[in-house]
Amino acid sequence: MSYQEKQNIVNIFTGLLVTVIFALMVYQRHQQGQFDLTEDFRTWGVVFLIFIGISVVVRIIIQIIFHILNTIATREADVPVEDERDKLIKLKATRNSYYAFTSGFVMSVLGLALGMPVYWIFIAFVAFGLIAEIMDNGSQIYYYRKGV
Amino acid sequence: MALRSIITGRESEMPKSNIQNNIRRLRFNAGEMTQQELADLVHVSRQTIVAIEKGNYSPSLELAFRFAHIFKTPLEEVFIYKPDDK
Repeated sequence: MSYQEKQNIVNIFTGLLVTVIFALMVYQRHQQGQFDLTEDFRTWGVVFLIFIGISVVVRIIIQIIFHILNTIATREADVPVEDERDKLIKLKATRNSYYAFTSGFVMSVLGLALGMPVYWIFIAFVAFGLIAEIMDNGSQIYYYRKGV
Repeated sequence: MALRSIITGRESEMPKSNIQNNIRRLRFNAGEMTQQELADLVHVSRQTIVAIEKGNYSPSLELAFRFAHIFKTPLEEVFIYKPDDK
């Protein structure tokens, strides 16, 4: 398995881990009555900003750990240089991820139009953000294996 | 079918590739050059050389010319276009 494939698998698990743990923590606090996410949209903004911050930090830490473990396992310290094939794969994967997120956004707006509560759009953003990320990394794994 | 073509970026009826290559033979003729050596010469990863040799990736025109330059041979000696018989 190539470095890029392993990195994408790690990215999928990191995304899942961070999102699920953070969502559970926020939901727990909502249940305890610390804030009301069904009415208070300012809190959603704060929650999203904290989520982005934590997500970036956790990803950097996990990437460092992954690189160290990969170096120990393969005895190859150098990260492969990105060439034209890698760039094309990333481009196509980003396109797929964009499709996933856009369809999620359209579904959320449709939900609003059909009378769903407004806070659902924030939940949909989190869910489809995660799906889009899985689509991105999953597509990259697919293209690395099957060709582009 | 639609989802598959979105993910793969290929139409379902489209053949894999009409471009074949002689890179493996040319490497052998060039003193049994390894994939890694060739990759270093043309500035791509070894995985990209593997993908090109397998026909899983068609390189850019610039990279194709780099191969021809390294092997000191015309481009059509490295890559061959095989049109459909239709």
